[in-house]
Amino acid sequence: MGSLFRSETMCLAQLFLQSGTAYECLSALGEKGLVQFRDLNQNVSSFQRKFVGEVKRCEELERILAYLVQEINRADIPLPEGETSPPAPPLKQVLEMQEQLQKLEVELREVTKNKEKLRKNLLELIEYTHMLRVTKTFVKRNVEFEPTYEEFPPLENDSLLDYSCMQRLGAKLGFVSGLINQGKVEAFEKMLWRVCKGYTIVTYAELDEPLEDPETGEVIKWYVFLISFWGEQIGHKVKKICDCYHCHVYPYPNTAEERKEIQEGLNTRIQDLYTVLHKTEDYLRQVLCKAAESVYSHVIQVKKMKAIYHMLNMCSFDVTNKCLIAEVWCPEADLHDLRRALQEGSRESGATIPSFMNTIPTKETPPTLIRTNKFTEGFQNIVDAYGVGSYREVNPALFTIVTFPFLFAVMFGDFGHGFVMFLFALLLVLNENHPRLNQSQEILRMFFNGRYILLLMGLFSVYTGLIYNDCFSKSVNLFGSGWNVSAMYSSGHAPAERGKVVLWNDTIVRRSRVLQLDPSVPGVFQGPYPFGIDPIWNLATNRLTFLNSFKMKMSVILGIIHMTFGVILGIFNHLHFRKKFNIYLVSVPELLFMLCIFGYLIFMIIYKWLVYSAETSRVAPSILIEFINMFLFPASETNGLYSGQEHVQRLLLAVTALSVPVLFLGKPLFLLWLHNGRSCFGVSRSGYTLIRKESEEEVSLLGSQDIEEGNNQMEDGCREMTCEEFNFGEILMTQVIHSIEYCLGCISNTASYLRLWALSLAHAQLSDVLWTMLVRVGLRVDTTYGVLLLLPVIALFAVLTIFILLIMEGLSAFLHAIRLHWVEFQNKFYVGAGTKFVPFSFRLLSSKFSDDMA
Amino acid sequence: MLEGAEFYFNVDHGYLEGLVRGCKASLLTQQDYINLVQCETLEDVKIHLQTTDYGNFLANQTNPLTVSKIDTEMRKKLCREFEYFRNHSLEPLSTFFTYMTCSYMIDNVILLMNGALQKKPVKEILVKCHPLGRFTEMEAVNIAETPSDLFKAILVETPLAPFFQDCMSENTFDELNIELLRNKLYKSYLEAFYKFCKNHGDVTAEIMCPILEFEADRRAFIITLNSFGTELSKDDRETLYPTCGKLYPEGLRLLAQAEDFDQMRRVADHYGVYKPLFEAVGDGSGGKTLEDVFYEREVQMNVLAFNRQFHYGVFYAYTKLKEQEMRNIVWIAECISQRHRTKINSYIPIL
Repeated sequence: MGSLFRSETMCLAQLFLQSGTAYECLSALGEKGLVQFRDLNQNVSSFQRKFVGEVKRCEELERILAYLVQEINRADIPLPEGETSPPAPPLKQVLEMQEQLQKLEVELREVTKNKEKLRKNLLELIEYTHMLRVTKTFVKRNVEFEPTYEEFPPLENDSLLDYSCMQRLGAKLGFVSGLINQGKVEAFEKMLWRVCKGYTIVTYAELDEPLEDPETGEVIKWYVFLISFWGEQIGHKVKKICDCYHCHVYPYPNTAEERKEIQEGLNTRIQDLYTVLHKTEDYLRQVLCKAAESVYSHVIQVKKMKAIYHMLNMCSFDVTNKCLIAEVWCPEADLHDLRRALQEGSRESGATIPSFMNTIPTKETPPTLIRTNKFTEGFQNIVDAYGVGSYREVNPALFTIVTFPFLFAVMFGDFGHGFVMFLFALLLVLNENHPRLNQSQEILRMFFNGRYILLLMGLFSVYTGLIYNDCFSKSVNLFGSGWNVSAMYSSGHAPAERGKVVLWNDTIVRRSRVLQLDPSVPGVFQGPYPFGIDPIWNLATNRLTFLNSFKMKMSVILGIIHMTFGVILGIFNHLHFRKKFNIYLVSVPELLFMLCIFGYLIFMIIYKWLVYSAETSRVAPSILIEFINMFLFPASETNGLYSGQEHVQRLLLAVTALSVPVLFLGKPLFLLWLHNGRSCFGVSRSGYTLIRKESEEEVSLLGSQDIEEGNNQMEDGCREMTCEEFNFGEILMTQVIHSIEYCLGCISNTASYLRLWALSLAHAQLSDVLWTMLVRVGLRVDTTYGVLLLLPVIALFAVLTIFILLIMEGLSAFLHAIRLHWVEFQNKFYVGAGTKFVPFSFRLLSSKFSDDMA
Repeated sequence: MLEGAEFYFNVDHGYLEGLVRGCKASLLTQQDYINLVQCETLEDVKIHLQTTDYGNFLANQTNPLTVSKIDTEMRKKLCREFEYFRNHSLEPLSTFFTYMTCSYMIDNVILLMNGALQKKPVKEILVKCHPLGRFTEMEAVNIAETPSDLFKAILVETPLAPFFQDCMSENTFDELNIELLRNKLYKSYLEAFYKFCKNHGDVTAEIMCPILEFEADRRAFIITLNSFGTELSKDDRETLYPTCGKLYPEGLRLLAQAEDFDQMRRVADHYGVYKPLFEAVGDGSGGKTLEDVFYEREVQMNVLAFNRQFHYGVFYAYTKLKEQEMRNIVWIAECISQRHRTKINSYIPIL
């Protein structure tokens, strides 16, 4: 069978890696991604392992690289992402690389530090010029007033600066001026007032242009302030307060000449700084550009290196300390590749003694590997979401590929909707190599990953839509209906026939609101529609009754077939794990139980379909009543479906009743008998040698099963026996629970499949409602306005169809289909208690920059 | 608050409570401590902390790693979490958060004033300030020369202002005065916080009041212990005791009269809560110190706070537990860096 049917056979291999070549070997293995390493140093904490120093070195390199990437991003230099991923660096190059990177980092830090310093300087100078410019206006107004001052002290002077006046009064006047952050102005002023008790005058004006903060690099609004104060003491306080609010304080020029001088000096210095800064930035850019070329490959290389050392940390040293021993899980099919990879690794490092491997027998359960391609991946994911399959168990994903879209489509049966979904999925499939789709996020990513599932779901929905004859809730008349209305008129029939059946005449047709077609009238029913439901039902008022009966029976039939198939797959599992007794004692009773009750129900449904025709339909018995009577043994008043029905039903019931105790007790008793039979081996029972031989075989198999479950208690015979004795109660309990669950489950699960009917009904009704509420209203309006109205109506119809019917309904049908698979189908055979095979592969490392920034 | 606040607690504070419980789950476990203790160097500590919720918070630190770097980064992390809580909180939880920061603010103010007294530059001390208690006016405290100055000029608009009413004096600052100021501030702070929680009612009061009562009593004990052999008079001492604890009023009066550790112990013997604590204190060599015993008790109360739902105490408890955890890590890191392994195990595990 294909590899999708069962997981691959695994073997445990021991790799003997010469310590000189271990790194290269692992590098070769990582490129191929063949094996999963087992941690041999589980009880050694992470910082006491062998290669912890190397891992630390890798982390140091990563830190440097993250810094580089950050700087490069800040300088807006595009980071080229290489197409191919470079191999892990050879050990000789690592030192070189480290040196190179460290040198680069030091240089870069130096240059950026210089740049920052220059920049800060420049910003401060710019602030200073702004301050000078603004404070000049404060003083200018003052100067204008000066001539008139001596005669009439102007009142406005309160808020302005008139230091000359104060100087004349003999007090020492001081100035502090600078810039302050916009948000702090108010608090600053308040505190100044409180601390200095009003002995200061603050003037401030907002700067028109926002400036960069030299400390944080943020662009914010600033205020220029000028504080004038009297006295030394207050001066100190003012300065402290300025410090507290992180004001940028600059010396205030006392005279106009000084101001001019400073301004000129500032201008030349700013010019100089600009040129220097420009040159520094150019140089920095050059350095970064050079670094950007190689940074991608470096990032990948360091990641690979780190991964290799992590794996080496899992290996143990042999006694001589000359070689590392690694234990790996490897698929048997890949053993050859594994050998070759080891040879390659040894050759590359030029070692004299090659590294080699040998397989070792093991009692542990290997991990599960099921190889998938892009088509099967989605279906395997659905199964894995329930539980990764146990080793070598039948994998339901293979069957899910067909059953999943099919059950979905039964609930989503609409030709039109299915086709839209199919087109959407086709679009995704055809453009699957498009880079934007590959990197898409969240919801689109979900659709993209499930594109093949969507494709099949769409296709199957088209199929079931054709069967239901539903296209946006309307039927399509492809082949011409099998019903003929004109045959119902009395005029077309011979008088002899008229007496027997109710025929139409003009008065009946005119008066009655509802007319009934009678298939037993010759010529009315000309035979079944070739494919799907006859479109004439779309017009019928009893359409729902007809469809409900059909869909309900269909979902029961599908459900029972699906579940029976699950039980049969269980037989494959028992065969493979060589537990034949399970087939006779578990699977067969289960099958009998299911088929005798529900299989018979299917038989009755199909029998009734086939045997009764339009003429005899009046005498057809109800299946429901028949089915209930099967359990109640009524006095035979009903005539039944066929003769001898009662005996058949009694027989079936007897089989069912017999299979239940077998199901409950068969397996535990058998195991107990095996156990006892073995323990009294010495007692003379020559007649049973054959059986005993067989039983011995069974026991050894049983033992191997125990081993598979990880019970390594086989060495000690005595303990084994007590262990089995002890287990009997447990086995009995598990089997009883399992049986109860199965028997009740058969009923509840069958009922659960009725969701197929319910959802398909809901879907059909919803799309019908949408049609009647929207499009039909639009079509009723007369032609002149109708055109104008139809456009928005159709648009709304399209939007609602997509969002409600396709996405919402599709999602609900999807979830119900998943549930039917997980619960109803898989619990019949699937254990799902395995662990996934996670190979050591560089491909699983992410190759994005964004990840190392996080 | 009305009865049955749990019905609408989640409307305003449910998100934050969920968040803080998640954060609490990421506190270091006993196993983590065992592993940390085995570390040989600070690098090992760093590697081990990487596997915990701290993640690679030290990744951008250049070598060599020091204990203070670890401490600062841990504080920053706590501060980030706290700021997040605070920014997303609604009244009255945000007032609760403000109360929580007040204790750190008091510490910072006192630290700065002590620094000013010793003529140290402000920048140097600012680094040592706890980030949770940072506020803008903080850097200007060294302008003030008397407590009333301090209040009127600097702190009048901060949340600390209401706590100043008892300690307005015109004395200039010296070391003793500053210490007195700290204790008085703390006293009124604790009383105000206690009143706030009490008025809030509900589970918050049920949880927070015992914690604050314990905090108040602990301060009373520690003040008493520290005042032995100083010039502080007994009456002055009594004014420093927070009055919201279980010791109030008789216990505090007795404590004010106590003259040595044994008398203090006798006072504690009257109280069922504190008797076992004092019994656990070892004498002199080898035993636990009173401080450690109190810390253990605090951790225990804070952990228990998580057993109830729909109250603010979890935020307080989480911050305190995190602080204890940081103290533990710093202790272990110090022991490792100073090669002083004999005492490495005397951290206080968070259960």
